[in-house]
Amino acid sequence: MKFAVRLSILGIAFVAMLSIVGLRLWFVQVAEGPAIALAAEEQTWIEKTAYAARGDIFDAEGTLLATSRIVPAVVVDRTFVQPEERDGLIATLSALLSISVEELEHIYDEAGVNGDFQVTTVSNEMAYQINEMLDELPGVEIAKVPERVYLAGPTLAHVIGYLGLPGVNELEADPSLPPDVRIGRFGVESSYEEDLRGTSGTEEYRVRRGEKIDERPAVQPVPGYSLILTIDLELQDLVELALEDGIALSNSVKDADRAAGGEVFGVTKKGAIVVLDAKTFDVMALAAFPDFDPQLFVPSISEETFADLIERDGLFNRAIGGAYPPASAFKPITYTAIEELNLPFPADRDDVDLSNRLVDCDGRFILPELADGSSQVKLDWYNGRIDFGWMDIHGALQWSCNKFFWAAGLGTYQSYDGTIRETVLQDWSMDLGYGSTTGVDLAGETGGVVPSREEFERRAEIQRENPDAGLLHPSRLEAEGNIWQGGDLMDFTIGQGAFTATPLQLAVSYASIVNGGRVYEPRVVSRIVDSSGDLVSTVDSPLVRRVDISEETRLSLLSDLNSVVTSGTAREAFKDFGEGLAQIGGKTGTGQVSANKDNHAWFVGVAPVSNPRYIVVVLIEEGGSGGRIAAPVARHILQYLVGNDPTPIVEGQEAD
Amino acid sequence: MTLLTRVREVAVDRRGNSSDRILFGTMLALSGFGLLMIYSATRDSGTFSMERQMIFVAAGLIIYLVVSHIDYREYRSMIPLISVITLLLLLAVFLFEPVNNVNRWIPLGFFNLQPAEFAKVVVIVMLASFLAVPVSDQLMPRILTWKKVLQAGGLVAVPAFLIYRQPDLGTTLVFAFILFAMLFVSGATWRQLVAILGTVVAGIVAIFRFGLLSEYQLDRVRVLLDSSIDPQGIGYQLRQSKNAIGSGQLFGKGLFQEGTLTDFNYVPEQETDFIFTAVGEQLGLIGGLLVIAAFAVIVWRLLVIAANARDRFGALIAAGVAAMVTFHVFINIGMTIGIMPVTGLPLPFLSQGGSFYMSMALALGIANSVWLMRTPVPGENQLT
Repeated sequence: MKFAVRLSILGIAFVAMLSIVGLRLWFVQVAEGPAIALAAEEQTWIEKTAYAARGDIFDAEGTLLATSRIVPAVVVDRTFVQPEERDGLIATLSALLSISVEELEHIYDEAGVNGDFQVTTVSNEMAYQINEMLDELPGVEIAKVPERVYLAGPTLAHVIGYLGLPGVNELEADPSLPPDVRIGRFGVESSYEEDLRGTSGTEEYRVRRGEKIDERPAVQPVPGYSLILTIDLELQDLVELALEDGIALSNSVKDADRAAGGEVFGVTKKGAIVVLDAKTFDVMALAAFPDFDPQLFVPSISEETFADLIERDGLFNRAIGGAYPPASAFKPITYTAIEELNLPFPADRDDVDLSNRLVDCDGRFILPELADGSSQVKLDWYNGRIDFGWMDIHGALQWSCNKFFWAAGLGTYQSYDGTIRETVLQDWSMDLGYGSTTGVDLAGETGGVVPSREEFERRAEIQRENPDAGLLHPSRLEAEGNIWQGGDLMDFTIGQGAFTATPLQLAVSYASIVNGGRVYEPRVVSRIVDSSGDLVSTVDSPLVRRVDISEETRLSLLSDLNSVVTSGTAREAFKDFGEGLAQIGGKTGTGQVSANKDNHAWFVGVAPVSNPRYIVVVLIEEGGSGGRIAAPVARHILQYLVGNDPTPIVEGQEAD
Repeated sequence: MTLLTRVREVAVDRRGNSSDRILFGTMLALSGFGLLMIYSATRDSGTFSMERQMIFVAAGLIIYLVVSHIDYREYRSMIPLISVITLLLLLAVFLFEPVNNVNRWIPLGFFNLQPAEFAKVVVIVMLASFLAVPVSDQLMPRILTWKKVLQAGGLVAVPAFLIYRQPDLGTTLVFAFILFAMLFVSGATWRQLVAILGTVVAGIVAIFRFGLLSEYQLDRVRVLLDSSIDPQGIGYQLRQSKNAIGSGQLFGKGLFQEGTLTDFNYVPEQETDFIFTAVGEQLGLIGGLLVIAAFAVIVWRLLVIAANARDRFGALIAAGVAAMVTFHVFINIGMTIGIMPVTGLPLPFLSQGGSFYMSMALALGIANSVWLMRTPVPGENQLT
């Protein structure tokens, strides 16, 4: 080939290369041009989020508990950050704001190439300092954003909840959530998230050489709705102080017991109180201890503080999320079942009078012989100290005689086991709210466990698959008949065994019984209003079901609950009640947890017994005896509720 | 000795030839247009990019004029010396602190020298000299031997490797392209060409397969396949570049128009590697095609110079410069419209950058010298 030919071929190749570029240029500018032009025009507009203020939270009397204020925040607009400036910017912000580099990198990358994001809210001093440094901080600006303020501190924290940035799962579940706007965690902040959040708006403008040159009509943010709670802050304050006093009382009693050589296992740290309106099912007060200050999460919580909160269990709302054996505090439910369902008593026992439905409360209950001839004895709490003698249902409730309820449990087991009526007591309890969540408008509720043959067989099945599950005693798996035994139903009658319930469930069941059998969902929010205070909606407590309880049984129970405080297991705790003790009722409970833990102290109070309105549930976790520790706390609160001057919380008598 | 004496006589003897006015005029027009584009992209940025570039353009034009009037054949004897100096400069970049993790510059205070840019011209001259049989009365061979091809490859490989280590993959590829084009016109057989092509492809595959590329270089290829990924903002840069050019449509939005992506400074590195976006957005397809046409004119003139050169040496220089210009234009504009990876190759005469502008002026000046010297003295064989 001649040189000239080769040169010509080279020339053709070069022209071909330039033509490819020209053709592609035609394609980009003419074929795709109009669409790209639209996108490019849109791109010059900067869209800024205008964050909506979160709705306020008020107590029942209109006291402001949580609101939003406008504070300075550090915002980064990535449009103005060159890629090579990213690392330096993150390092500087990390040093200035004490936020980890990893965390900043994460939100930076999440925001997208042209995105803007809020780093954190800052103090005015820091805002001023950063403002002076803006030349060294590309893309950074100080914006005004709303931030949460909790005015009541730790008071009501478990009802209010707190705020946190949405996690990966939440963002996936709801892609409309802005990743830099905090959402509710627990409490009404979470359960009313959609009402509280509001709708953020947008501002759109164009900036040329740092100056705004164009603006589009802004979409104003719509503030969230406000909540009005059913809870009165004054009562709540009193209840929280009473709870702390109750815990202190438990510890001083434990110290005294230990000094006297008694068996004490640990320090009392935890407890919960629920005050419920028995007519409306409005929650009037709800306290759980340990608690926390939701302000700790604003703008964000440090890792150490959070670890410390978790360590002392401060974020757990045990009033609705803690499931405990309710022990004797459950007896009024068994009481109504015995009366309404006419539960059978065991025949052929010399300590049970079948015709008069009496039981000899001598402290010892000998169980029927097993197939191998052995026999077990259940000992009552007063065994060896008191012999109550023959008791009817009224005396048994007043003095919390386990043996009476055991007898009913054994009789029911013997008569109904294997029949359609086998779960008659469980069904009754579940109708009154046990074994499932109450439906309260708070996140984090648990339903507890109502034990039954079905439940135990479910556990047995798991344990056969996994012998280490520890759900049942291994001996139960040895024979088919051992899985569910008469003793289990007997334990259930006195609120023990595998049975667990939350303080709120106890409140709901008592309220349902004393109001004649109407079970409602409890509520902590009564009304939702808009930012100018106009009513948006009222929150009512829907009726869950009606349970048939005769007026005779209801009045009989209320009278017996009154005798508990006047002359029964809570007599000592209520001796200084003052005016109107005749209108007070209640029931003590002492829940056995395990061999190496102190008992849970329970008391459930009712007032006034002639027309019940208040249900007060007190739990001092591993606090000791119900009559001794929990009853005085409830007495203090009931004194306040009926208008008496609350007297100090002092030790009551040792009783279940 | 007599041969050398004769060459010196010829050197001043232009035999009445005048400069290639079309070549110079087009280069001048592109340079002025480039200054305008740089100004439009940076006018409010306070960087004085256009003013700086004016100095480089002035320096480049002086270089062009001086080199035009030096007989290009003078360089042949100096090639070993120039090559050594070039290699030393290419090594010297590693002595200085890397900028953005790249060792590409020698800071001289008033500007940063990029030896790789000048190395392109040196390699063209060196290859031309090697491939053109020493001046003699013999006829040039029609085809190249395998040995010659391998030796040529070896000559280019040394500077190419140093530049690859900077790292600057784009310029390394420029070397490969120049080598390929010059071997082709020198008479490489199809087998040899396929072998070279195969070696380059195998080299690229090896670079990718064995992780010889840094992550950022890989990313620049990845974004071509999926522009939604955004490694270190390259996807963003590509999108902005394509948006700016595409939105210019047929006639453009108008020079210095407000509200354009150019005006908003939305295209990163617009005055350097992405200068074509300022053309495409403001002057549309018409402006873009005119720029491409201008480059076609330059390439055409260079090939005419090659065809009319007095000897094979001059012809190969002109062909090599044409290859260099074409490759730069193809890769650079291709990159701004998303058909080539972001390799950091600037656009000749338009992109801001001192070393690049001056080396381009130098290359065209040498080609112009080939044009001026094209007429042989009586009795001299035109070696073809």
